[in-house]
Amino acid sequence: MKALSLPAQKRHEALVGYLFIAPYLVLFVAFVLVPVVWGYFISLHNWHVLGDQKPFVGFANYRALLRDDLFGIALLNTGYFALLTVIPGNVVSLLLALGLNARIRAENVYKAVFYLPVILSVAVVAIIWRWMYSTEFGLLNYYLKLLWQMFNLPGEFQPVPWLNSPQSAMPSLALMSIWWGAGGNMLIYLAGLRGIPEEYYEAARIDGASTWGRFWHITLPLLRPSLLFCLVMSLIGSSQVFGQSYILTGGGPHYSTLTVVLYMYQTGFSLYRMGYACAVAYVMFVIVLGFTLLQFRLLSARGEE
Amino acid sequence: MSRLCRLLGLMMVAGALLLAGCSPRSNLRSDPNAEIRFWNGFTGPDGATMEKIVKQFERETGIRVKMQIIPWGTYYDKLVLSLAYGDAPDVFICHANRIAEFARYGVFRPLDDLIAADRGFRVDDILPNIWQAGQYDGKQVGLPLDCHPQGLYYNLKLFREAGIVDAQGNPKPPETWDEFLETARKLTVDKDGDGRPDQWGFAFTWLRTNWITFISQHGGSILSEDLRRAALNQPPAVRATQQMCDIIFQHRVAPKPEGFDSWMGFRQGRVAMAIEGIYMLSSVEEQKGLEYAGAPVPSFGPKRAVWGGSHMLCMPKGISPQRAEQVWRFIRYLSDHSLDWAEGGQVPVRRSLLNEPRFRRMRVQHAFAKQLPYVVFEPASHKSTEIMPFYDAAIEAALLGIRTPQDALNEAARRIQQVLDRP
Repeated sequence: MKALSLPAQKRHEALVGYLFIAPYLVLFVAFVLVPVVWGYFISLHNWHVLGDQKPFVGFANYRALLRDDLFGIALLNTGYFALLTVIPGNVVSLLLALGLNARIRAENVYKAVFYLPVILSVAVVAIIWRWMYSTEFGLLNYYLKLLWQMFNLPGEFQPVPWLNSPQSAMPSLALMSIWWGAGGNMLIYLAGLRGIPEEYYEAARIDGASTWGRFWHITLPLLRPSLLFCLVMSLIGSSQVFGQSYILTGGGPHYSTLTVVLYMYQTGFSLYRMGYACAVAYVMFVIVLGFTLLQFRLLSARGEE
Repeated sequence: MSRLCRLLGLMMVAGALLLAGCSPRSNLRSDPNAEIRFWNGFTGPDGATMEKIVKQFERETGIRVKMQIIPWGTYYDKLVLSLAYGDAPDVFICHANRIAEFARYGVFRPLDDLIAADRGFRVDDILPNIWQAGQYDGKQVGLPLDCHPQGLYYNLKLFREAGIVDAQGNPKPPETWDEFLETARKLTVDKDGDGRPDQWGFAFTWLRTNWITFISQHGGSILSEDLRRAALNQPPAVRATQQMCDIIFQHRVAPKPEGFDSWMGFRQGRVAMAIEGIYMLSSVEEQKGLEYAGAPVPSFGPKRAVWGGSHMLCMPKGISPQRAEQVWRFIRYLSDHSLDWAEGGQVPVRRSLLNEPRFRRMRVQHAFAKQLPYVVFEPASHKSTEIMPFYDAAIEAALLGIRTPQDALNEAARRIQQVLDRP
């Protein structure tokens, strides 16, 4: 009852403060906090949407997940997607930012062009790329065929089955995702680059450092905060990949693009097995939490230097 | 800290109440004058046909019907949520292959008493195999409005060009496996001599349903008869899958289903034959310059069988007695007028309608309807939807040559068995 013994003025201030945050807090609680806690509750039940009884099963859903090889496949696929997008995507973003940082003409035009895909929703991106990837009628295969003929390569050109073979489907999704997201990180890198004082480069030049040496010993170390931020955010983002495979491949061919979030969605919203879907969500939550803690550790390690 | 906890607790309660505001409440209005709410997913030309029949019903009976068309892609999400949490429609369409899945949770109002009370309604007029697809646990929970079997679509112009005609000079669709192979070979043409056919005799369109037709003709099935065991890796189904692979890899009369839009190929005259559902009729009708016809699916195996689906008319549990009677009148009316419905590319399931001259004039529907007595549906298990992705993946892997049919089907059978064994 300490709270009530505060002086009247303090109480008044606190009340005003709560009122100010109330609109957001109510929404946050109703649509984030309650579902998060409730989701955990559901994950402990055999919870079919239509079931009258939703029996408590303890950790049975989690135990079943351990034995579910499709979940294993989904985890591996998601890791594979992260591998294909995080490092290559950030290299692309960094290269774009380096190019833009060279004080070129019409810089803003390029910035806009590279950033444009980021403002598209995944559905729009996927539909555009579905046509580009079409084996029969796709733009990519059309250009590849032209190149093939231009250089008189031996044999008949075989169209690349971008989305239709288990080997190429995931790399195709990764390529599309890099195109889609590169502009966002590019801006962060550009801001980072602009924050590096010109004097350092000047000094390095006087000392005779090569372009590569300047990049390696000045740009990269000073860009570390941006790098860490972008890498970790990309890693978290790619671990939640869903729309790309949901729209383009439906998880196929032969489970090659089945990702964890897609599996969760299918379990929850095609099969209405909410308990199991929530268990998938919670395992994913723990994994992403792990990455986030890693992020904190890495970022604070920098602070101690 | 304790203050924060208390605050959070309060917020959670408030939030829970907010959410509870949108959950279970008794939804079905008992006002007999209220309109009948009818949900379906007929977004194509079939929607317009249905609209016409509904308007006619309103004029004749004075009962108002509010039809809501929801694209099939999201239809079941909406339906299931409405059945679980309230606001369910008074009558809705449910595909035959999902009856068991939903009926298991008792969401349907059985129709048996209404059927028994309606002396004018003759159950024996409806084809028995399709009538049974609307049953669960001995109760009739859905009344079949139609059936949509697969059939053979073939391109008349390409048949004539290849000289595949009967004595009168009419294009002749194949009826047996040998005829099918011979026809498909003649129709597979490599015009520019680059080693890759530019015109294919046949193409697999929807792999799942094509496969169900093949395995059923060989006497195979996805599940055992008691629906407890996976049967798709048994010899008949493996043989059938091998036959499908042979069409692609050995006889080379169909393309690998890899980035080849088979149905578009048929529409554009680059594929001479395809096995598709009657619901694709409107899609070939709108293709300018395409001369097509329909025929029963050839015999690929020793048994007669063809995949089909059916739109079942269903009522939700908890509907009031007066309302149920009104809705029954509506359902009955739709069934009586299923010949009008057939115009939109469907096949009626009432024997009396199948013999009408008007139905004979619907040439493709009439050709496909000959197969009704041996239509097969997906297994009537409540896990039917759940096991689907597994056999989908197996068929795809086999037909793309990623796995042998036996390996692919063994893997699918193992996964399906896991699903079946789960409570």
